[in-house]
Amino acid sequence: MTDLDPITVEVLRHKLDGIANEMETTLLRSSFSPIVKEGLDASASLFTLNGETLAQAIAVPIHLATLIPIVAKLREAFPPETMAEGDIYILNDPYLGGTHLPDIALVMPVFHQGRPIAFSATMTHHQDVGGMSPGSVPTNATEVYQEGIRIPPLKLREGETFNETLVAMLRQNVRIPDTFMGDLNAQVAGCTVGARRLSELAETFGHNRLSVAFEDLLDRSEILTRQAIEAIPDGTYSYVDYLDNDGIELDKRIRIEVAVTVEGSSIRCDFAGTDDQVKGPFNCVPSGSQAAAYYAVRAITDPTIPTNGGCFRPVRLDLPAGSLVNPREPAPVNARTATIKRITGCILGALKQAMPERMPADSGGELLILMFGGERRDGSRYVTGELIAAGSGAGAKRDGVDVIETDATNCMNLPVEALEMDAPIRVHRTALRTDSGGAGTHRGGLGITREYEILDGEVAFTHRGERHFCAARGAAGGGDGAEAVSTIRRADGTEETVPSKLVSVLHPGDRLIVETAGGGGYGDAAGRDGAAVQADLDDGKISREAAAETYGLKGKST
Amino acid sequence: MTEIGVDIGGTFTDVVCRRAGAPLQIVKIPSTRADPSVAVLRSVKHMVETWGVDPAEIARFVHGTTVATNAVIERKGARIGLLTTEGFKDVLEIGRQMRQAMYDLVLEPETPVFLAPGRFRKEVPERLDAEGKVLVPLDQAAVVAAVRDLVEDGVEAVAVCFLFSFLNPRHEQRARDLIEENFPDLMVSLSCEVDPAFREYERTAVTAFDAYVKPVIDRYLERLEGGIAEAGVSAPLQVMMSRGGAAASSIVRQRPVRLFLSGPAAGVVGGRMVGKAAGTEDVITVDVGGTSCDIALIAAGKPMIRQEGRIEGFPVRVPMVDVNAIGAGGGSIAWLDGAGGLKVGPQSAGSEPGPACYGAGGEAATVTDASVVLGYLNPDYFAGGALRLDADAARAVIEREIATPLGLTVEAAALGIHRVVNAQMAEGIRLVSIRQGLDPRLFTLLPLGGAGPVHATALARELGIRRIVVPRFPGVLSAAGLLAAQVEHEVSSAFPRPLAGLDLAAVRGVLDDLDRQCAALMAHESGGLSDPRVLHFADVCYIGQSYHLEVPLDLAADDPLRALYRDFQVAHDRIYGHSTDAPAQIVNLRSVHQAGGSDRLEDGAYRANGEAVMPGMRRILLSEQTEPVEPAVFDRAALPAGHRLTGPAIVEQADTTTVIEPGWSATVTEAGDLIVERGDA
Repeated sequence: MTDLDPITVEVLRHKLDGIANEMETTLLRSSFSPIVKEGLDASASLFTLNGETLAQAIAVPIHLATLIPIVAKLREAFPPETMAEGDIYILNDPYLGGTHLPDIALVMPVFHQGRPIAFSATMTHHQDVGGMSPGSVPTNATEVYQEGIRIPPLKLREGETFNETLVAMLRQNVRIPDTFMGDLNAQVAGCTVGARRLSELAETFGHNRLSVAFEDLLDRSEILTRQAIEAIPDGTYSYVDYLDNDGIELDKRIRIEVAVTVEGSSIRCDFAGTDDQVKGPFNCVPSGSQAAAYYAVRAITDPTIPTNGGCFRPVRLDLPAGSLVNPREPAPVNARTATIKRITGCILGALKQAMPERMPADSGGELLILMFGGERRDGSRYVTGELIAAGSGAGAKRDGVDVIETDATNCMNLPVEALEMDAPIRVHRTALRTDSGGAGTHRGGLGITREYEILDGEVAFTHRGERHFCAARGAAGGGDGAEAVSTIRRADGTEETVPSKLVSVLHPGDRLIVETAGGGGYGDAAGRDGAAVQADLDDGKISREAAAETYGLKGKST
Repeated sequence: MTEIGVDIGGTFTDVVCRRAGAPLQIVKIPSTRADPSVAVLRSVKHMVETWGVDPAEIARFVHGTTVATNAVIERKGARIGLLTTEGFKDVLEIGRQMRQAMYDLVLEPETPVFLAPGRFRKEVPERLDAEGKVLVPLDQAAVVAAVRDLVEDGVEAVAVCFLFSFLNPRHEQRARDLIEENFPDLMVSLSCEVDPAFREYERTAVTAFDAYVKPVIDRYLERLEGGIAEAGVSAPLQVMMSRGGAAASSIVRQRPVRLFLSGPAAGVVGGRMVGKAAGTEDVITVDVGGTSCDIALIAAGKPMIRQEGRIEGFPVRVPMVDVNAIGAGGGSIAWLDGAGGLKVGPQSAGSEPGPACYGAGGEAATVTDASVVLGYLNPDYFAGGALRLDADAARAVIEREIATPLGLTVEAAALGIHRVVNAQMAEGIRLVSIRQGLDPRLFTLLPLGGAGPVHATALARELGIRRIVVPRFPGVLSAAGLLAAQVEHEVSSAFPRPLAGLDLAAVRGVLDDLDRQCAALMAHESGGLSDPRVLHFADVCYIGQSYHLEVPLDLAADDPLRALYRDFQVAHDRIYGHSTDAPAQIVNLRSVHQAGGSDRLEDGAYRANGEAVMPGMRRILLSEQTEPVEPAVFDRAALPAGHRLTGPAIVEQADTTTVIEPGWSATVTEAGDLIVERGDA
């Protein structure tokens, strides 16, 4: 048996995954803010000394590989041979490898016998990092400076000593410094546990064997990923989809175009044809575009392939400088989640042409964000938010799922009872949106209808939608999903249609009705099983008119 | 006094009989899947005819059943209807919109729509506000009309879940009265009784599950009650519940959702008892079965309880013993990926066809096959000799599937399979304890299931655990847990109030009411339970947090609410790594009444079977060595209390095999359990 038998490598892989999971658990467990604890918006990774991902623990795919450019930038600014045991480095600037300002990364070198052998890194979405609005995700930002404090590559801790100057500067620039430091300390704890366990592993297995094993693990994931890509027919597949607008120029749709070229065991995503960067905060720096591409590659290959840098080796991105997917400083970037979701959808949409049987129709791909801020009757203030999903696309063998998170995000909605106990808002309806699923042999998933009424006081209201102006497309002859629609019905009876993005004020008696998008259908509607059509009618998923006109249902009624 | 525990498993129904002054008797009877009560009644027959038990002398008859769990797994519950507040009938189908399969492109529903598809969900005009005040009165005619429609569509039970009913149950209660008046045969589950806590989706789902299994459980337990009474058993039937306590069958029939996953719970309760007998209150139980490995923590003598579990991937807000399954077990299949890497699981050969060595047509290399190749399992004495293992088949399959492609010897491949599966299980155990803020090294490992003790010393070594207790009967520990279980009743109530300035009298008032409800439930139990232990708990969180921690509330303390806050901070610090002086609030109050239960499995002392301790020898391979060793092989039943042996050694018994690595030594306790310790300790 050589030192590097596949068994030892597999044992080590379980240990590395276990370490990443322990880092993530420590990070989530010791964080302060609800966005980390409940939104699970944090991740942990181990890196090789070369900066390739060794193991990663994530709760939401949007974090996939986002630490890679950060580690690269930090290695550049602080060469590993200059690092000392106990050092911790920090960075959040999207134009220096970060994603958006609330996502702060910490990176710690792992030492064994006085030499750095790897990195342990964590990233957390912080509740507030300063800037023009609480929460640091201003919909109306037009420059990154408005979005919060920018941290270039810096040393947060030198050995065991914190950089007090930096800490003081950070505390002074955020709205809730105690929470901020609590979450930052949780990151320190996560990095530390990773470094400690990896260093113990080096002690047990020997550093040389370990570093050979690292290479082997990366190579294995690369081989497996390449095998999966080889199974996809070679060719260039293009797709175009749109974001509704950037929140500033409301009538301007934002085009995302991708040409996915599969060649042998490699995949290249070229975004030529994508619109230039926009005024509003929907620009997406390369790390976000990469997360989208990596998600798509993970989804079309085998999700059981161990996630590490090897999976990403066969993937190349061409991101035109100055475009939406690779903006120039100082374009604002905080709302890039919608963009990442749409990029993911575009890449998957392109691959539908290569693998029509495996790929579903387009999903709603919408995560509607609502924010309400106002005063309760007792004078106390509240801010509450909602994240609302759309329907998923139907596949070749089954209907889409109603109201479900898809692609790069995975957030929970807010219970009506939780909302009403917290804020003077009443919800009148939470219902599946009849007829919103794209028609097809397999029907697209339905969107949701939710109706709110303001009970007290003046409410500052933000609406950040998608799919109001460009539907999720059907596949293989299936119909498109319904577009999203949101309406404000003022207390005086006037109605306003929300143009996807809106910052407004609501008053008592005003009602907001949101209807999210449906997923695309798959296959010709005429081919849908009659019993399935009848069941949809009985269950209220389609109307009698749709049953008759779209699906040609005759006879029996309920 | 005679006490009986009968636990239904997938393959066997385990029966344990405890009699004063007599050794424990156990038997395994093949389960009867179509009607599990048949096997239970056969077990009664066995007791009477083979063990000479007088049914009239049975003082306690405790039953563990998988009927509720299986009704869900097999989708064989009742056709039910769901009644909701107007505007909210789709809450059950929409759920929380999160998906579990993060990378799947074609998704599957995450909510239990099968319980009540749209046509079986009806809305009625009524509405309470966020303080429980009536905004829209209940439309009684609409209730009757909606239920009439449902009855015409063939429903057997109705679940009722109105918004904010946890603050004011009157509308739901009135709906039930109307249903009972008009449709007396219909069964009803009210959300304010099943799970009076906020978050409408979770409450709706658990209430619908309750209604779904209610007619099934009702028929099953009624048949069983009748059957054992007919056999002359006068003790009332008790049933094990998810939280690890038992309750009278008549009570269980009213809230059957509390039976979900009670099988693994009983095993943990049994583990608690064995740990206690071996002098430890901090135990990690690891039940290595065919397809999975179930991990549970017992800290300070108390099994960890979670307030919400999952069944078939769906959330069920039922308090249950916190059992964490990972997909690694004896049947886990070893395979090579496209890059020539060795993987174990998550696919399993299950029990049919099972590992290749079962000789039932299994063609995949499994962990059990590796155990045979390594010499850990005795082909002639597996399951007490009930199944002869085909060692040649085990060798052949590992050679073909793993060894030859990797260029390894069969033994090296088998060792590799063990190393990989052990690494997986050890990381799983570590994560379970770290999530609770507990250091696994401070715990005693208690391996269960046929395969647990095979892996125990290897797992303990990886985790830095120094002490292992192998129960005398690891294969029937769930049945033994039934005898150990306390009778328990638990009732909770939503109580969303800030702690600051909270009037203790208001808390007392609610708890008094909950205590009365618990006492009324306890009154249904058989005699000898006059003096129950009364425990109070509060679910507490910092204001603004949406997760909470269950904290004991001691009304006898000097300042109970101050103590509650302090204890909450301590718990928060342990589990989340920090705590602050920020204001906190109560979410729910809970009362738990417990009675009975036992810390010892057997009344008499353990006695060996009297045969000479004559160790055999066989060659085995341990991961520490590359050369085979020839350890002593002992028959567990022949080892007297106080007997001591040192590794390497193998201890065989009918229901498991314990592998003791070099560097470990073992001692038989007075209770007959085997304590395995690191070093010479």
